[in-house]
Order: sequence, then structure tokens, then C-alpha cells
Amino acid sequence: MILLNIFTYLTVLLFLFKILSRAIGIALSPIHLRWELYPIPHEKGKAKYGGSRLEEVDWWEKPIKKDFIGEWIYMAKEIIFLHGVRIHNKKLWWGSFPFHFALYLYAFNTILIFLGAVLSLNFINISIEKNGIGGFINYISVIIGWILSITGIIGTIILLFRRIFDKNLSLYSTASHYFNILLIGSVYISALVWLISDDNFFIHASNYFVALISFNVIEKLPAAGLIHIIISLAFILYLPFTHMTHFFTKYFTYHSVRWDDAPNVPGSDIANEVSKYLNYPVTWAAPHIGADGSKTWLAIASELPGKEVKNVN
Amino acid sequence: MSTKKTIKVQDISSHIKQLAELNNVDFVPLPPPYDNLEELPGFKKIKEETIDKFGGGLDGVIAVGIPKPETLLEQQKVVNVFIEGLHKLFSKENNWTFLQPLTLSMEHCARCQTCSNNCPVFESSGYNEIYRPTYRAEVLRKLYFKYVKPGNPIFRTFQNGDIELNWDLIARLFELSYRCTLCRRCASSCPIGLDNGLITHELRKLFSSELGWFPKELHEKGTVQQLLVGSSTGMNSLVVKDNMEFIDEDMTEKTGIKVETKWDVEGADVLLLHNAGEILAWPENPGAFAILLDAAGISWTMSSEDIGYDGVNYGLFYDDVQLARIAKKHLDVAKKLKVKKIVMGECGHESKALGAIADRIFAGAVPRETAMTLMEQIVFSGKIKFDPAKNNFPVTLHDPCNLTRSLGVIEPQRRILRYLAPRFREMYPNGPHNYCCGGGSGFAIMSGYNFLDWRMHISGRKKFEQILQAFSDEDLYSNSPKYVCAPCSNCKGQIRDLFSFYGATAKSGLHYGGLVELIVNAMVDIKEPFINFEEM
Repeated sequence: MILLNIFTYLTVLLFLFKILSRAIGIALSPIHLRWELYPIPHEKGKAKYGGSRLEEVDWWEKPIKKDFIGEWIYMAKEIIFLHGVRIHNKKLWWGSFPFHFALYLYAFNTILIFLGAVLSLNFINISIEKNGIGGFINYISVIIGWILSITGIIGTIILLFRRIFDKNLSLYSTASHYFNILLIGSVYISALVWLISDDNFFIHASNYFVALISFNVIEKLPAAGLIHIIISLAFILYLPFTHMTHFFTKYFTYHSVRWDDAPNVPGSDIANEVSKYLNYPVTWAAPHIGADGSKTWLAIASELPGKEVKNVN
Repeated sequence: MSTKKTIKVQDISSHIKQLAELNNVDFVPLPPPYDNLEELPGFKKIKEETIDKFGGGLDGVIAVGIPKPETLLEQQKVVNVFIEGLHKLFSKENNWTFLQPLTLSMEHCARCQTCSNNCPVFESSGYNEIYRPTYRAEVLRKLYFKYVKPGNPIFRTFQNGDIELNWDLIARLFELSYRCTLCRRCASSCPIGLDNGLITHELRKLFSSELGWFPKELHEKGTVQQLLVGSSTGMNSLVVKDNMEFIDEDMTEKTGIKVETKWDVEGADVLLLHNAGEILAWPENPGAFAILLDAAGISWTMSSEDIGYDGVNYGLFYDDVQLARIAKKHLDVAKKLKVKKIVMGECGHESKALGAIADRIFAGAVPRETAMTLMEQIVFSGKIKFDPAKNNFPVTLHDPCNLTRSLGVIEPQRRILRYLAPRFREMYPNGPHNYCCGGGSGFAIMSGYNFLDWRMHISGRKKFEQILQAFSDEDLYSNSPKYVCAPCSNCKGQIRDLFSFYGATAKSGLHYGGLVELIVNAMVDIKEPFINFEEM
């Protein structure tokens, strides 16, 4: 089982590297022009109807009041309940919600199993027959395991059905869209098989983490458990290379774009950054831009359009 | 009979004569009394030779059009320039302005089509596939993963599919980038926070900034004319002053109150920056502003310096450099006059361009606010006496996308209407969830070939339907006056065209106008009705 150790460590490292480098790359990309979209939930007292501070006379003389609780409530509804899909695409939501909710339960259950491993390492019995914290976590984890696998399988079937038979989706689907659903679906199916076939699911799963934490070779696992872990690792390895990274890039699409209404104040970070960008050399080729590869953005924005203008109609 | 067919994303590269057909039996039906197809205006067919000239037909409509190069070599040259432009679109040097949101929208779409349900163009057309907000986005996405971020070709095709880049694709994509009003309703509904409206905006930028392709109404007659002559209307400084003098005289005669536009008053509290189109098309609007500001005792001025009297900025719709050039001039004028603030007239795109977008380009600029806030302040200041009964006719409010969804200015105009228009009623949905008038992103001034028919039948359909529904408790078979308040020049242009196209003023008494006219109409000191439906 040493190969499973190596596969797990490499998968986690690669996943973290890819996700972190992607997040840093997005965070460090240039500040863009304002492109906010209302309603913005942090607009205190105005978010409910989609208003903004721009409704106030001399708004720049007033302090900016932000309602961060409003943002958190919005995000919680969006992340947990897929609120946007529920409102705007109810037919898809019936599949998408259980499919995604099962993933959240999966992540939560992984934490429980990890906790079980920590308890084991501290010589606390995690057998389901035992009273105490270990037995309790075991009990909860098994229940969540059942819920997530069944919910996930239902979501998978509905989503796959819609992807195949709904022309709105199938016309825009590539092979990967079907593969992604099937891959995640197989995580749920293999979890269910493991639960059905193994009375000691939690202990075996925790032992896997014990070995990983303590850098020992993973002990023999039930076949169903081994298959489930390999499929899950394959999914984690594959995830950062797909559009499914929206699970974290959604933070940027909301906070850095849709809700970014920060005004540009002299001496601010925005002003300092933009002053750098205004010195970028422009290479657009259309004559009216008047770029020569060395003229800066500011120089070009300060000029009149080039004389040679093409008429297209 | 419906002629709708299944169209795939890859079909945009096909060499067929025309990709999609438009047939008004497919369009979403309008409510009575506009529900009889035979009584509605038809869709002008373009001559075969014109279609042949432009090649790569999209939908039998031409908004922009680009003559087809005669040789394959010339076509290939265009393809090469397009690829160059594609790389520049994703470079920080050329496109720092929108690189982050564009890349996010390229890389994270789940193709769930949640956005499609919110697009008025897609819905009104009877769900014509090429108008789906994700259609053009998906074309660009496939090109992005093929040319800008290629990776392993097998994995790339597995993830995003493939597409053939050729002349037909480019010509159709250019035309297709002018089938979206950039209303961003699709973006509002995207659960991941992606923006197909932005993708359309960026496509237009690529065509303009790299290939020099743009609609002449937005570029030569728009931004270029504004930068070189002073206004997108073609008015230079002398002409605008002449026209405003005429408006002043007209308003004085009409109201009995001395009206005099202030010019170049240094240190004024307010620099009033109208969309200059108002001065030519709806002179009662700047006239009403002059009456209102004077009556409220506001220290205000207009600028007679080139560009300083025209708040239009069509660069917002297609070209960041043109946007920045015009915005810089606006801000320079205000700085030179040492005014305390710029108040942007009843113009949605001006408010967005100067109020928010340009904010990130020029730090420390003169503060800007929309006319909605100033009007609200005046109306509720107690300085002017109003008699709301003077506005005793049905009124509804159109929400300009740029004012509401893009700026969050929702309530000031409503508080005024609730007070001054006793028969005010909302249309639904409204506020940040409104439907575009159908003339957004510059469409209201674009009518070449049969594009007017397209924006009347398709992009403006939803708004017309909403207006009819807002007045459904009134007699729509009678021409008793009903007023659509549209506090945006661009939207007014589109609504004017809609009412004219469907004969709605004669048939149903539908009229339109701005907000300030309603305010002035309710002023006790104005003896004769300021809004005269017989003259409208």
C-alpha cells in the first residue's frame, strides 16, 4: 500500500499547489475598471432593493458603510443552497442542489474522519459501540456517509439525465461535462458500496488518515474502501485542471468583480496600481488607437484618434 | 410557419449562406392590441447582393457588416490579425482594464445555461440559438483555449471542444457582437458570477482596437466626431450655444419664466453635463433642467468647451481607449472650470461611463453624481411648490440598465414619481431586475439596413410588452395619454422608435419623456402644462 501513500501525498500537494497558484494569479491580476452589478449585498440599508451609495447627494463626502453580514448571508445562501440556480433555473436546481450539497457533506465527513484519526492517535477508542466522543463521531460520520452518497447519486442521475436529454445543455456540452458528472457520481456510488459492505467503515477510513498523518504505510483496506479512495483522489487530482475550480474562483467573481464598488481615491492602493498600468505600452493595431508599441496607455488616452479611420459599412 | 433549426456553436464557421433564420411567428407574442401578426409591421428583407457582399450571413440582419475579402489570402490575413488581437485581449498591457473579469468568465463557465433564461433578446426571438447569451461567449471560449491558452490539444478538446477559425466565423462573430444590448441581465443570474455581457463587450473591443472594425454610428459619427468636433451630434461649441439660446427663448415663451442657460461659470457648484442628443431631439429636457435649477437657486453652469457640453461616451460600448479619451476631456473641463461637482443629465450610459467606469482611470477627478439625486434633493427641499394633480395621467417608469443594474440608482426617481405622479405604477420586473429598452449599448442610434426592424421586433420587444402590461388597467384601444418616464436619452430614442414602429401613440396614447419634464409640469409657478401631449 506504499503506492497509495505516495499517490495521496502527491495528489494533495499538487491540488494545493494548483489551487494556490491559481488563486494568487487571479488576486495579482490587474485591478480592472469598475464593473459592479447591483444589488450589492454590502450596501447598508439599500441592498434589499438594489440601491447604492450613489443614490445620495454628495455621496463622496459621506463615510462608506458596508454591511458584511449581508454579504455573508448572501454567500451562504448561494454556496449552500445554490440560490441563484434555484431562482433562475429551477429545473436544473433539482439535480444541481443534491449533487453539490453531497459534496459539502463529503468534505465535512472527511473532516470527521480526520478527527477520528487524531483521536485514534491519542489512544481514544473510535469504535461505534463505545460511548464518548470517538463513538459519537463514528456514528455521525456513518449517518452523513449514507445521506451524502444517496443524495449525491440522486443528483448525479438527475444532472446526467438533463445533460443528455435537455437540448439547452447538450448543445453546449463537451465530453468532459459528462465525464465530470460520472466521476463525481462514482465517488458517491463507491462511498455507498463501502458503507454497505463494511461495518467498520469509519475505523478503516480513519486508519487511512492515521497512516498518512504518522507517515506510516497504509494498512490493508477493504476493496470497496480502496476503490473509493482511489476514485476520490483521482477527482481531487483532476479538479484543479477544470472549470470546476469555480468552487473557489467564485470568491473573486463576486468580491472582486460583481461587488467591487470601491471608488478610486487619490493615494489609495487602487490609484497607485492604476498609475502603474497607465504606463504600460500599448500594441493594439487599429489606426485610430495610434499605438506604436512604445506609447503608454496614458499617452494614447491623452491623444486624439489617429486620422486613418476605416469605414466598415 | 416556424423555420427554427438546431444550430451548434461550431456551425458559426460553416460556409452556408446564412446561419439562422428569423421569422416573426417564432417571436414571443405581444399583448393586445398588438397580438395580431398580420397587423404588425414586417421584417425588411435585405437584397441578395447585399448579403453576398458581406458574406458569412448571420441572421439576415446587418447591423455592422464587413465586406468579404475577395481572395482566400486576404481572408487568411484577417484571420491572422484576429489571432493577434486575441492574444492582446488577454494581455495586461493592452487590456488591464478588464483582464481579470474576462479571464474569470472564460475559464469557469459550467454551461448550465441559467443565464439564458434571463436574456430578453433570446426570449423575444423565440429562443433563436444564436442569440443565447452563451453562444457568442462559447465561440470566444473555444478560441481562447485553442489559441491563447492551448495546453495539450487532446485534453483541451476533451474539456472545451474545438472550433475552426475562418473568415466566416470572424464575420459572423463581429455581427453577433452587435446582437446583445450589454444589459447584463444574464450576468445577474449567473450563479458563478460570470458575465456574458462583458464577453460581448470584449469582443467588440477586439474588433475595434485590433481590426479597426466598428459600427460607424458609434465610431466615426460617435466617438471620433465627439473628439474632433466636440459632440457626437456634430454640434460644435458655437452651434450648441445657438441651440441652447433657442431653447431658452422657447422655454421663456412657453412658461413665462425667464430661462437663461449659464455658460462657463467658474467655481459653480454644479457642471450640468447633458447628453447633447437631448438638445437636438428633446429640447424640453435641457430646458426643464434650466427652469428647475434656477427655481431651486442652484449655482450651475454648462461648459461651452469642446466635449464639455456632450456627456455621451460611446467608447463604453466598444473601445476602452475611446472611452478614456472622452472621459479625460470631461474631467479636464470640470477641473478647468473649478466646479464642485459634475451632475450627469438624464443619460444612463453617460452616468455609468463617467460615474463609475472612468473612476478607476483618473484618480482625484471632480466628483460626479447622477441627475436623479440632485432632482430628488430639489423636489423635497421645499424651495419649489408643486401640485401633483397637474400630472394626473397614468405614468410608468422605465429603469435604464446603466442607471439601475450598473449603478444602483433606484429609489430617487421613484420617490419623486410617488410624490408628483398620482397615477404612477411600476412595470415588472423593475429596478436592478429590469428589462433593457432594447436600444442599449448604442443600438438606439443604429438603424442601418434592416437593423431597426431587428431592434423593434426583437431587442425592444420585451420592453414594449412591459409597457403595455404596465398600462393594462387603462384602455389601450384609446389614445388617452399614458406617459412612460424614461430618464435616459438612449432609452428615449429606442422607446420613440418602438412607439412609432407599432403606431402606439396613435393607437394606445403611449407617450414618453424624461423625469425632469414631469417635475416641471407639476410646478405651481408654471401656469400652462409643460407636458403637452398634443405636441408630443
